[in-house]
Amino acid sequence: MTTAVQRLADTAAGKMADRIPVFCNLLDQGARELGLPLNEYYSRGEYVAEGQLRLQKKYGYDNVWCLFYVGKEAELFGCRKIIFAEDGPPNVGEMILETYDDVYRLQVPEDVTSHPAFEETRKCLDILKREVGGKRPICAYVTASMTLPAILMGMENWLALLLSGPLDVRDELLEKCSEFFRKQVAALRNAGADIILYSNPFGSVDFLPMRMFEMLSLPWMERDLKPVGADGVVYYCGGARLIPVIDRVIERTGIGAYYLSPLESVAAGKRAIEGRALCAGVINDIRMIDWSPQEVREEVKRILAEGMPGGRFMFGTVVMPWSIPDANIRAMLEAAFEFGRLQ
Amino acid sequence: MLDRVLNAYTEAIYDTDRDRAFQVVHDALAEGVSPEDIVFEIVSPSLEMMVKAISESDTANLAQHFLASQIGADITEEMMARFRQAPRMAGSVVIGTSQGDFHGLGKRIVAGCLKAAVIEVIDLGTNVPPERFVDEAVSRDAQVIAVSSMMVHTARSESGCLGVRRILRERRLEDRIKVVVGGAPYRFDPELYRIVQADAWAANGIAAGEIIARLIEEVQS
Ligand code: B12
Repeated sequence: MTTAVQRLADTAAGKMADRIPVFCNLLDQGARELGLPLNEYYSRGEYVAEGQLRLQKKYGYDNVWCLFYVGKEAELFGCRKIIFAEDGPPNVGEMILETYDDVYRLQVPEDVTSHPAFEETRKCLDILKREVGGKRPICAYVTASMTLPAILMGMENWLALLLSGPLDVRDELLEKCSEFFRKQVAALRNAGADIILYSNPFGSVDFLPMRMFEMLSLPWMERDLKPVGADGVVYYCGGARLIPVIDRVIERTGIGAYYLSPLESVAAGKRAIEGRALCAGVINDIRMIDWSPQEVREEVKRILAEGMPGGRFMFGTVVMPWSIPDANIRAMLEAAFEFGRLQ
Repeated sequence: MLDRVLNAYTEAIYDTDRDRAFQVVHDALAEGVSPEDIVFEIVSPSLEMMVKAISESDTANLAQHFLASQIGADITEEMMARFRQAPRMAGSVVIGTSQGDFHGLGKRIVAGCLKAAVIEVIDLGTNVPPERFVDEAVSRDAQVIAVSSMMVHTARSESGCLGVRRILRERRLEDRIKVVVGGAPYRFDPELYRIVQADAWAANGIAAGEIIARLIEEVQS
């Protein structure tokens, strides 16, 4: 039987697999599987690994995650306050950069792996590697240098700095975030992560004009990725649209996989990629809360019909909200397995 | 003359050039354009032009929204201080993010666009409980409550817009106060505003200004 790792590798290489790869991004739902409140669940790597393994077994999709929540990156940089909810993802509760002087004081951890926040991720990865390593793609999430400042100083302050702030402060911060990015990628790969979801909403023209994308986003993406390589890297703009930049990103970074926005046309995404990389067609999972299982099925069918011709295609979700009914998760996956069959 | 200024100002915003936008306005003042005309013939129409451009080409990005709202609000404030007669506000809006939500940028952009449309904005900040939205709207005589949420669970929560609606109903205030919502989840699900029992929603700050102005008129008539 084909393993999920083999399936993904074959698909990415443009070879025929048994079916298309199917990624389903369930994070907070692991706490529900273990019957734990979210803050407790996320306090230990063992819990998150167990949650991921149980969810994967229950639903049968291809991937597992070592991501707890995005705010963990701020914790690695010194943030001490995370706000937990009962039925939704944790959020950063304090901005570690309040003034421009703080940017100069900010210290990139010498060794990210020795930080207690990384220690839990490492424990999680140890277990995932032991249980499914080499068989299932183990996914990690790392925020691009152009986007990370959003959770270090807040979206408003980062936009203001980008658009009209002092250039030396901007560049100092980007340099530190890029160094941090590279260290994280190295540490995560070392600990067993295969896939790096490279998250960069500020690398989307929904966020910045093309001129700024060319002047800033692209060069900083190169700086993030050149030293660590684009192996297993997936380009993702947090659900923002990325088709208009695909061509430039392929040219300049060599990233081999593109995770579309659910609001983009899958056919247009495939056209932009022109067979040069793997394309992920992504379901609008926010609507899955209210759709009927039949509507979910129809939607998966539509996405696959648009994306499968020509190959190098996979199916995925964004960050599945907590309140999506179980029946809809099952309907989505059944349809993806059924309509995604190739042999 | 005003046309030329309007075009130059709108272009500066499109180019995300804050300094140039201010320069255009200050040059116009120096050439004798009145502060009233700056607000009603330049800043407001420029936002309307952007609404049109966005709905036609869907190309405006976050940076442009952010600047249009910030600069529009700043210039309007600066000009209103120089109006010959105290300006009459078109209405007032109480705005905040729903309980449990700490993402303030969307709200801030909407607030800026409202100020640029000479609507009074009472900004309650982030993580606002539903009672507070209603209490403030009553005490400040606002026609509209605007609730922003970045996440699904804070948009749909009983202590978000649904809570505001429940309190308005219990206190029989529904004719006097309208509720409008926005934020990422609504952009992914255009029907969500009905589920949370809002009167309307908008996909971006500039469109929010138009819709809220309409709701204010509805309440006032
Ligand atoms: C940028 C972004 C990020 C950045 C920065 C986030 C931040 N602010 O802290 C990063 C990469 C760090 C990130 C992280 C996360 N994100 Co995020 N992110 C986004 C993204 C791409 C854009 C959000 C944004 O800031 N837009 C800019 C603002 C200004 O736009 P806006 O809020 O929509 O506001 C505009 C309109 O909506 C409207 N509007 C806003 N409010 C109002 C109010 C009224 C009354 C009206 C009329 C109009 C209106 O006008 C505004 C201006 O035009 C969205 C997807 C998307 N395309 O929208 C996901 C998204 C918001 N993120 C999401 C999630 C889940 C997260 C995380 C919780 C993931 C995790 N598990 O850790 C973390 C949280 C981080 C934290 N705060 O601790 C989800 C939320 C949905 C859900 N599942 O609940 C989204 C929708 C992606 C998705 N489809 O899954 N994210």
